[in-house]
Amino acid sequence: MALTDSLDELITSGAITPQLAMKVLQQFDKSLADIMVKQVKTKTTLKGHLHTYRLCDDVWTFIVKNPTFKMESNELVSAPKIKIVACKNGDAIEAGKK
Amino acid sequence: MSFALSTRQVTFGRPAHAAQQQPYQQGQPQPYPQSQQPQPSNGLALPFPSNPYLPGPTGLALPGPAPVYSSQPQPTTAQPAQSQQQQQQSQTQSQSPTVTGATQASATGPASPPSTIPATPAPLTLEQQHITAVEGIVPTLQNIVATVNLDCRLDLKTIALHARNAEYNPKRFAAVIMRIRDPKTTALIFASGKMVVTGAKSEDDSRLASRKYARIVQKLGFDAKFSEFKIQNIVGSCDVKFPIRLEGLAYSHGQFSSYEPELFPGLIYRMIKPKVVLLIFVSGKIVLTGAKVREEIYTAFNTIYTVLVEFRKP
Repeated sequence: MALTDSLDELITSGAITPQLAMKVLQQFDKSLADIMVKQVKTKTTLKGHLHTYRLCDDVWTFIVKNPTFKMESNELVSAPKIKIVACKNGDAIEAGKK
Repeated sequence: MSFALSTRQVTFGRPAHAAQQQPYQQGQPQPYPQSQQPQPSNGLALPFPSNPYLPGPTGLALPGPAPVYSSQPQPTTAQPAQSQQQQQQSQTQSQSPTVTGATQASATGPASPPSTIPATPAPLTLEQQHITAVEGIVPTLQNIVATVNLDCRLDLKTIALHARNAEYNPKRFAAVIMRIRDPKTTALIFASGKMVVTGAKSEDDSRLASRKYARIVQKLGFDAKFSEFKIQNIVGSCDVKFPIRLEGLAYSHGQFSSYEPELFPGLIYRMIKPKVVLLIFVSGKIVLTGAKVREEIYTAFNTIYTVLVEFRKP
């Protein structure tokens, strides 16, 4: 979200072309997926009210209301609403946004 | 945000419905409108004149796309009747000084309102519903499957992308699977515009849910109509509360029964009239399925009950 906002700003100010912005976004998705698969090893469990779910093009989207995360270090984190985007493992793009 | 279309928003349509229904129901102040209902064109030779199990005029028996009746409008319609009562009471009270006999009536008036106009249609007794409840057991409906034709080609990907609680995996199944929370149901929406709605517990719920799904599709910009709504299957279940000798039943009703305990622990009883399939278990629990109307479930249960009593385990 923050990335798209700043890219928008750069496009409107004429600093970069929209094509470049697209490329940046693609690279972001790719890198994020890579990192998620290779480097993120921590696990968490979450509990909450599943408000909405969607499956289209092998991408699951969940909106969970009032989730509480239980981290490995036994600390609890909660939020009013989160969106989870999950992709297939192979060409995975996985992102969690608050 | 791309989640502008929601099931919540669809429920906004309800108060509008209720407002439309109100004058309609006021126009029919009979406490038991069932007796005036046209006969449903189900083509079944049932001994019952109509669908007397549902309070108020049902969407089922009315031809064409009738308004969906939810349980909500009932309290609102009850109020005009009550105000009518109060008017009547005040009339009798105003008359009471002149008519000596009426004083007693007016004195008891507030405690027991005139029985001619009940505020709401009183719940029908089982006899009135033509259910001869054997031992007070009436099967409860567990699932109703209905089909609807939205009568327009649909782009399933658009629906899956924009509707909430939708799944679309064309590699696995060529339909969008969508769910709503009230009435808790699941719909399969096909590209041809045909839709299957499952999971409802009553005919009214099934119809209401189907309308909600049609509305969701409409809101996504398709020219969806609500046509050819038809209940395809009704499933009921109950417990006769005594164990049953399934072998004995299978032996003497061999024509209808299939009992293979190695394959399935229940006896499968294919009743011819009404055409209903029953799963009968040793425990006395019964599942009835294959009915198109609620009455078939009830008659099938009443028929089987007399048989089951014969095969009660000692």
